[in-house]
Formats: sequence, structure tokens, C-alpha cells
Amino acid sequence: MNDKQKTGLDVVAGISGRPATELTPELNLLGDLGIDSPKALNLLLQLEEALGIEISDEDAAKMDTVGDILDYLGALA
Amino acid sequence: MAPRDFPEIDPEARLADLLERAARHFPSRGVAVFDGRGRRRERRTYPEVLAAARRASGRWSALGVRPGDRVLIGLPTSWSWLDAWLGAVLLGALPVAVAPGAAMGAARAQLKKVDGLVERLGVRFALVGDAFRGEAEAAGLRRASEAALGVGELEGTTPDPLKGASEQRTRSASEDVAFLQLTSGSTGVPRAVMISHRAALHNAWANDRAIGVPHGAPTHRWADSMVSWLPLHHDMGLVGCLFLSIYAGLDLWLFQGTTFLARPRLWLEHLGRHGTAFAPAPNFGYQLCLERLTEKDREGLDLSSWHDAMTGAEMIRPETVAGFCETFAPCGFRPEAFRPCFGLAEGTLAVTFDGKGRGMRTLPMPESAGEGQALGEVVCVGEAIDDTVVRVCGPDGRPLPDGEIGEVRVQGPSVFLGYWNDPGATAEGLQDGWLCTGDLGFLHRGELYLTGRLKDILILRGHNLMPHEIEWQAEAVTGGGGGLRSGAFSVARGTAGEEAVLVVETTAKDPGVLASMAGDIRNRVGRTLSILLSDIVFVRRGRIPKTTSGKVQRRQLRDQYLSGSLDALARFEPPST
Repeated sequence: MNDKQKTGLDVVAGISGRPATELTPELNLLGDLGIDSPKALNLLLQLEEALGIEISDEDAAKMDTVGDILDYLGALA
Repeated sequence: MAPRDFPEIDPEARLADLLERAARHFPSRGVAVFDGRGRRRERRTYPEVLAAARRASGRWSALGVRPGDRVLIGLPTSWSWLDAWLGAVLLGALPVAVAPGAAMGAARAQLKKVDGLVERLGVRFALVGDAFRGEAEAAGLRRASEAALGVGELEGTTPDPLKGASEQRTRSASEDVAFLQLTSGSTGVPRAVMISHRAALHNAWANDRAIGVPHGAPTHRWADSMVSWLPLHHDMGLVGCLFLSIYAGLDLWLFQGTTFLARPRLWLEHLGRHGTAFAPAPNFGYQLCLERLTEKDREGLDLSSWHDAMTGAEMIRPETVAGFCETFAPCGFRPEAFRPCFGLAEGTLAVTFDGKGRGMRTLPMPESAGEGQALGEVVCVGEAIDDTVVRVCGPDGRPLPDGEIGEVRVQGPSVFLGYWNDPGATAEGLQDGWLCTGDLGFLHRGELYLTGRLKDILILRGHNLMPHEIEWQAEAVTGGGGGLRSGAFSVARGTAGEEAVLVVETTAKDPGVLASMAGDIRNRVGRTLSILLSDIVFVRRGRIPKTTSGKVQRRQLRDQYLSGSLDALARFEPPST
């Protein structure tokens, strides 16, 4: 896991209230972690602010699980 | 600012005339639209709004759209939305706005809805995000993928030259349908409410006057701006914010709904920045501000120029209003700014407004209310808007005396024409020229007090959902629906507004199996309907009350749940967040 992914996991942990160590890739953001659409936007804003990136709405729409976020962040240069 | 010259609008006018008038009389006023993150905004003056809408109208025309054609708009609040919607209206086509696909995983919930609407409304084009068509194709939704029109495709189309205004006028009389407004029907498929040009203009005019009552002058004489996060596919956002702003020449500041839900402070910040302002919101919006803004967040907020805080579109909780007044008093918010109101899509929007200007007023629940009514005090939503009559009727349709609870019925120029292509539903909703709202309440000295809902519609965060939309998703997981049933309803939980509860019959007993089933149901409901279920309760087969014909009796089920008499096998609350 690279630094961006670690930061991303910390952001998900902060939003969901679960420790980062418990966040496994298959967990569904909404169903398992209770991240509804406003929380999801906060998640995006915090990811963007923490990493200095901009995530397009199209990419954001594809993020269903913790693993999807990690894959996205892992693919960033 | 100085009172503005304000010519009365011609009763024969159309919605397009409203925009032309704004461009002529309020050339420096306009609309600012924020991006999804709430960071950047693009402001256009009313002459610029009109010019862009005319170009969009020419684009629809170039794509082959003709007057009367239905075009679906499924985008978040944006200039693309406004151009497309207003452009369709200028052309005489009928825009139908539908909720956009939400960010992160919920985008798919929109696909099936659009697919069904394309068929039932005979939609010519569905304006959606550029990724929509591919997703619809992948999901095998042929109608949705064929009607899909990406934003880029519409905006890349070369507009047809404009037709003369006189030609358009003959095509579109004030009695004609101007647009369709979606609302949940009792059958679960959304119904399309037909609103005429005349009704739309009447409601904007009546809103302007009703909001102005405590101020001694119509809104346009004293208000500078409106700040809104209400989605434009919602009647309160479309009519209460957009139409009223155009009618009264207000500066309108528009946020996307999710931006507010994520960062509610932005709304309040802007309410303090743009002169004499007002803003409507459903109860949950005020509650969200109460819950989410810390003391530090409230520092530096100035709400003293927020003259009117309309609250409506869902049941108004006295605790929310009182809490908001107290918490935001140090920011300059005045309790008398609260203006309870009542409206619905079938009434174009507004039906009643509290015109006393004394803030929220309540009466105790009448003793005749009977069981199932948890409310202690009932909020006054005021008097009917101009030219409009409100009655409360018994089951036989006869008006009831003051203080007796019955169905609220409405008559007046803002009442809808009927549901698109649905004479059965229209006959139910419009009886002898009276709109039957399905809402319950009572009258007292000419003012309306709302007590509840006649039907079983769940209203979650201001959005309507039918119980069986949830039940069917659950039954898809459990394999039930026949011998094993489920029932969904909403309950008021603390001050957090309404939450959805689901009761499921099962033959399983193993706690592990039940836990995993609850997780699957919650995931599926979340993905397809974009809501987070509150409690999921499992009961044994046959424990859900049903009618002799096998219909689930949700109201009785809800009563059992609330009184604790439900014989639960297991109960699962949402993951703590």
C-alpha cells in the first residue's frame, strides 16, 4: 500500500468511524460503512484536500467499496 | 434597496414570458450556480440566462424536439440543467426533471427509473451524464440507452435559428401544460403532474405576495436574494426558488443538494452575504444545520439579513424549529423569520403560508385524533394563498368543522391539470375540481394545521418513497414476497427526522444467517434506492398483519413496532457511524 492509499484509508476511517485496520477492500461504502451520499461527498472533499488532487464525478461514481478507492488512489502517479 | 418598479404579469402569459420579463426589468440581477464541491460558481445575469435558454431551445429544435414532446432531465443542479429545462419550455416542449444519479455507487439507481419513465411518458430524449448510455447498455436497459442524450451531445449541437416570438405564442396558450413534475404515486411508479403555464405563473405571483404579508409588501419590493440547495427536480426547488426568483427579480444562489448535505455551513454563510435574503428548506435541512454545525462553525455566521426561513415539504417538528432559533440566535437569527408553509407538486407548490410573522405557532393535537398519533402539538402552516380555498373533508368528501381532522383539499388556479396519461389517478386526485392532497389536518380560524399523511408514503429527507420499493428489494434478498412478506414504514426518530424501518418475515433462526441477511438487504436497498435503512427486524412467518386479501397493513405494523408488541426474532441497527 502506498502513501496515498494509506492517507485514503485514514480518511475513510475518519468518515466511517471505523479503525483503518478494520477496513477491508470488499466493504461496501454505503451498506457496510453507512457512507450515504452527503458523507460520500465529504469523503471526496477530504480525499481531495488531503492529497491535493481532484477526483472527477465520473470516477467518483464508480467507487462502491473501500477497494475501489484504494485502486483509484493506487493508479495515481 | 429601493422598491422596484414591478408591472403585474399578464394572466395570458407563459413561463417563457416570465424569463423575458426578468431579462427586461432586472438586467443586473441573475443566478449563480455552484459546482458540486461548492467551491466554484458561475453567475449569469437574467439577460444572459435568457440568451442561453434560447440557444438551448434552438438545440432541442435541431435535435428534432417539437412542442409537446417530453424531454427528461436527470442532471445535478448546474447550468446544463437550467439551460436544458428553460430551453425546452421556450420551445413549448415539456421538460420532466428526475433525480440525478448520486455520486459513489448509487449512479445505477437512476438507470431503471429513467428506463421506466422513457416508456411511460414517451420521452423523446433523456438528458443525462455522459457515462449514462454505456451503463444503460451494460445493464440491458434498451429504452434508457436509446433515449439517452449526453450533456456534451446536447451542448455540441448547433442551434436552429430562433423562431419568431409571435409564432411561439400561438403555439403555447397559458392553459397548456408547461412542464411535468414527478411525484410518488400509490402504485410506486412515479406519476407525472401536469402543470399549466397559468398555474406556474399564479403560484409564483401568489408566493411573492404571501411571503410578503408580514412585511407589508410583496417580496419583490424588499428582498434581494434567495440562497437554495433544494434540488431543481423537487417542486420546492423549482417553483419556490427558481420561479419565484425569476418572477421577483431576485439574485438566486444555487447549490447542489449533496453539497449542502456534506457542508451545510455553506448555505448559512451565503444567507448572510447577499443582502436581504430568504430561503426555504424542509424540516430536515434545519435539523441538519443544528446537528452538524459546531460552536466553532457558528462563529462568524451572520444570519441577521435572513428575513424569511420557510419550512415545509415534510412534517415540521416543533423541536427542530425551537432548537434552530435558540442555537442560531447568537448569529442574529430571529425566531419570527420562521415561516411554516404547506404545499405539494399537485398544487404547483405553495398552498398555505403562515402570514402572521410571529414564527412557529402550534395548537395541541385535537382529542378526536385517536390512536397512532404521536404528535403532541401541531404546527400551524397558515392561510391559503390568494384565490385559493383550503378545506378539510371527511371520508365522504364533506367539509368538516374547525378542529376536526380530515383530508386537506384545495381549489384554485395553481391546482394541477391531472397526471400525465393516467386518468385513474387523476380521477382520484382531482374530485369535482378539488385537489385531494392525501394529507391530514384540521382548520382553526381559517388557518391549516397538518397532522400527518393519509397514505403510506415514506418521506425521507424530503423525498418520497413508497414502502414496497424497499420491501421488494428485501424480498429479492430473502426470496420472500409470497408466503414470506415484509413491511416498510418510516418513524420519527428523536430529532433526526423520519427514518425507514423494515420488518421481514423469515423461516431462518440461526443468528449468523439472520445477520448476513440483514447486511445483504441493507446493501441492496442502499445501492438501488440510495437510502440507509434504520432498523431491520426479523419476525416469524405470518407475524406481519395483513388484510384478508393479503395486503400488508403497514400502519398496524408500525404501531406494533412502536409499542414494542412486535414479536422480533432479531433486530439489526445500521452500522454505527
